[in-house]
Amino acid sequence: MQSNRTASEAATRRVQVVGVRDVLRRFGIAIAFLLLVVVLSTLSESFLTVSNILNIARQVSINAVIAAGMTFVILTGGIDLSVGSVLAYSGAIMAGLLSTGKPVVLSIIAGLALGAILGLVNGIVITKGKVQPFIATLGMLTIARGATLVYTDGRPITGLPDAFVWLGAGEVLRVPVPVIIMTLVFTASYLILTQTVLGRYVYAIGGNEEAARLSGVNVTFYKSLVYAISGLTSAISAVILTARLNSAQPTAGVAFELDAIAAVVLGGTTLAGGEGSIGGTLLGAFIIGVINNGLNLLNVNPFYQQVVKGLVILLAVLLDRRLR
Amino acid sequence: MVMTGIGKQFPGVRALQDVQFQVLAGEVHGLVGENGAGKSTLMRILGGIHQRDAGEIRLRGRPVEIRSPIHARTLGISIIHQELNLVPALSVAENIFLGRAPRRSGGLVDWREMYVRAGRLLADLGVPIDPRRRVSQLTVAEQQLVEIAKTLSVDAELVIMDEPTAALTLEETERLFRFIRDLQGRGVGVVYITHRLEEVFKITDRVTVLRDGQYVGTYPTAELTLDELIRLMVGRRLVEKFPKEAMPPGLPILEIRRLAVRGVFDDISFALRRGEILGIAGLIGSGKTEVAYAIFGAMPLDAGEITLDGRPVLIRSPAEAIAHGIGLVTEDRKRLGLVLQMSVRGNITLPIVKQLGPGLFIRRGEEHALVDRAIRELDMAVASPEQLIRTLSGGTQQKVVVAKWLQTRARVLLMAEPTRGIDVGAKVEMYRLMVELARRGVGIVMISSEMPEILGMSDRIIVMHEGRITAEFPRAEATQEKIMASAAGRVQSAV
Amino acid sequence: MRRVAPGLVALVVLSVLPLYAGALPTVGLSISTLNNPFFVDLRDGGQAAAKRLNVNLVVLDAQNDSAREASQIEDLIQRKVAVIAINPTDSDAIVPTIRKINAARIPVITVDRGANGGDVLAHIASDNVAGGMMAADYVGKRLNGKGNVVMLEGIAGTSAARDRGKGFREGLKKYPGITLVAVQTADFDRAKGLAVMENILQAQKKVDAVFAQNDEMALGAVQAVDAAKRQKEMFVVGFDAIADAVAAVKAGKMAATIAQQPTVMGRLAVEAAVKVINKQSVPKFTPVPLRLVTKETAK
Repeated sequence: MQSNRTASEAATRRVQVVGVRDVLRRFGIAIAFLLLVVVLSTLSESFLTVSNILNIARQVSINAVIAAGMTFVILTGGIDLSVGSVLAYSGAIMAGLLSTGKPVVLSIIAGLALGAILGLVNGIVITKGKVQPFIATLGMLTIARGATLVYTDGRPITGLPDAFVWLGAGEVLRVPVPVIIMTLVFTASYLILTQTVLGRYVYAIGGNEEAARLSGVNVTFYKSLVYAISGLTSAISAVILTARLNSAQPTAGVAFELDAIAAVVLGGTTLAGGEGSIGGTLLGAFIIGVINNGLNLLNVNPFYQQVVKGLVILLAVLLDRRLR
Repeated sequence: MVMTGIGKQFPGVRALQDVQFQVLAGEVHGLVGENGAGKSTLMRILGGIHQRDAGEIRLRGRPVEIRSPIHARTLGISIIHQELNLVPALSVAENIFLGRAPRRSGGLVDWREMYVRAGRLLADLGVPIDPRRRVSQLTVAEQQLVEIAKTLSVDAELVIMDEPTAALTLEETERLFRFIRDLQGRGVGVVYITHRLEEVFKITDRVTVLRDGQYVGTYPTAELTLDELIRLMVGRRLVEKFPKEAMPPGLPILEIRRLAVRGVFDDISFALRRGEILGIAGLIGSGKTEVAYAIFGAMPLDAGEITLDGRPVLIRSPAEAIAHGIGLVTEDRKRLGLVLQMSVRGNITLPIVKQLGPGLFIRRGEEHALVDRAIRELDMAVASPEQLIRTLSGGTQQKVVVAKWLQTRARVLLMAEPTRGIDVGAKVEMYRLMVELARRGVGIVMISSEMPEILGMSDRIIVMHEGRITAEFPRAEATQEKIMASAAGRVQSAV
Repeated sequence: MRRVAPGLVALVVLSVLPLYAGALPTVGLSISTLNNPFFVDLRDGGQAAAKRLNVNLVVLDAQNDSAREASQIEDLIQRKVAVIAINPTDSDAIVPTIRKINAARIPVITVDRGANGGDVLAHIASDNVAGGMMAADYVGKRLNGKGNVVMLEGIAGTSAARDRGKGFREGLKKYPGITLVAVQTADFDRAKGLAVMENILQAQKKVDAVFAQNDEMALGAVQAVDAAKRQKEMFVVGFDAIADAVAAVKAGKMAATIAQQPTVMGRLAVEAAVKVINKQSVPKFTPVPLRLVTKETAK
């Protein structure tokens, strides 16, 4: 009896420890973010102003929206390197349609559909073709970039209608439209990941693909779907970027996959899959955005900026891991 | 070599408690016990893979601390693992000399010397394998022999063999035994771990018995009979451990006719009745587990027919099997059965979550109600439904696996090694659960390597050998000896 | 024997083909990237000149990858082209390749970006330092020698960024009343130019002029200034005079841009190559004239 009781007490204690750890685990990256904000606001008086915060949010929106789709992919244990090129291609197609006078809504739908289809192709190559996600999406990275160059002949496409440009430059009650788009994407992602069957399956596939399959999950279908989502968010991001620049650049989105992956991982999602949250990704994207903004505000020598950026990212991750 | 008072604790399971073990030079020492008795754990401590929590290890009288597998090797301890540790893409010789290839001056690998030495070693073993062949091209048995050659190529003083004959033919086994005697003659101590008790009597001098992580005793083999050894291994709990009740046979629910997967099993036919527990016994490689995977749609069939409630059904994926009311408890719950990063709730409802969310969102209230009921019904030791699976003990994890199939209202439950790696208490609970399910009319196919479980829980027993059914016994007629003989390939007339 | 015939025919055709192509002298033009309108214009200038001068021009796109560039040029050496004109991706990485061309005794011309070694017969480029000074002069005069100036720099460590920055700083020395309040890199990229300028606008309450070391960044900066509704406060000067920027200058959104003339550069490169083929002498350095493009001078 005696030993039984101690055992059960130990069990309760362990459960409590797990609880505290869970809290730290959930908020570790938030603490890192707050530290960064505190440091920057003491260094620069322009940092913590409403206009700068909205400014940061607007800048972050492009990477954050891509990172939202990337979160789905990484949660299943995959990776999508093609996001930057898919962004460029769907942006170019949208701009191409718009510059030849097609209606705004139709052009956007075409661009989004293209992004989703390119993502779906990634997914099908990965699931049906049994190709490693890294390689499959690397192939798409090259193909979509090449297609963009062919389509644009290496030159920016300009001459976009004001209604479209509003999506990048406009405001609703002082809130920039890109920030509103980002908020919608993250709200939808949050609901999908926490409240729907798709979300449950994403975690299950990433946690243990074989167990998910043996529990009746159609792994092929849902994995393909996840890459389509990533393609779609890349295309949504293309809307923001193209509208913001008032033009589609053939080089748009080069190396964007790295910032998106960094945001996801900073946000606590493991590259092995199965663990992580969309809220973390948003924080991760903001950390990267705040670093860029802070370095500019402080007029840091460009040569040092990359060093500082890398260090801050590593410190944030280390702090997060330490708190876990 | 002497080990005293060895203890080892894993999260949720006490693997070893106060175990003694002693091997003399030139002795072949058998180590036996049921699955989960702690044999492998003890050997892993000796091999430097795990660190002990308590006790002492002495080598040639001096206390030692075995820090790592490499350290164990430098101390003269060699292990031939149950799971093969070969690199498939490398040649036989490269595998044998992995990490210690003969070198020429200048540090380059002396390939000629390596192939010559590997060839000599294999010839000594009487194994006609070209040392230049890639390991991936070898049969499992050949790989096993390469693994043995690899171990013997180090000048070991103590060789541990964990189920070395599991994949070997009779002839190959004989060859191995000759070799063990040869080692013995050179003064090497051999620890021989096996489930094949007849081998214990054939090759060992002394035998140590473990049961549930505890030391039972060490005996000169010559002074034991097979029955005595089994009694020592199983203990007196054999009777009380199995809460099996006699059930009136129900209507046939699942019928399998001439099922075949090329190269794995062939011509498998049986019928399962409602409320029946059908045991399938067989050695590793007999294809018994694969039969379950094939019925479940997780392995494509080459031939055969599956009938449910008298109607032929086509099952091409686990999803279809689940829709037909079949559930599969996998033999490896961590690798195949559960999503460790997810909560108890997420795992329990994984097979049915789709039915909970035909609209946009999963109906949370309904899900919580289902999970709470499952936790109560199966008396799971969880702090909350949100507790992560990986923080649970093996027994509770296994209950979660079963709970998944309660949600789908499975009428047929295929259970592979349902009590592997869980505590004795948890095992009994699992048996009670199986009986309860059977009482509710669920048909259970229990695939197990544990003889007592097969004997204690089954209404009927099928024995498989090399992909074919070699015997079928009703509960009353089954004995360990008959099953062993059939599992070794002797065909008995079906009843 | 009969089955061998098609193979034989193919062989003969293959061996005659180079002879046929050899009727016109071939010039190889390796371009760092065609992913940038500037180099597309350079290519177009070169192709037009090649057509006019009746030479065969092989254009290769290294996609900003030094390794790809090296292997593409090796192919050119194998083809035994008459002259190789290179717009290197990197001034150092190109050196071993140039030595290889030297060894094959094929004349080498560099375009826009130089090489830090090897024997180069001629270098054709605009004078980036002069361009930077041209921009500084424009800014200084327009501000009447007084004001706050922001500079957006190109990819840190590239010679274009270095030279344009150096020229601009040097040029500003003539105007002690002008302060360079912020110097930040935006990697020659429009999206980064936009984001970095947005950030600078947060920190700098008064900016009178912006000099961006290329037009892509300048156009990004214009977006940022417009969005902040501070276009009355400052003007933006770019560099390169790409089509978009010239249009922006015409529309009054950008004040000026320094025209490097990539089309001229491509033309001069091919012309120099033809001179080499005809055994005429070519100067070691041919500067490509720069041009200040403002609303008044824009074509």
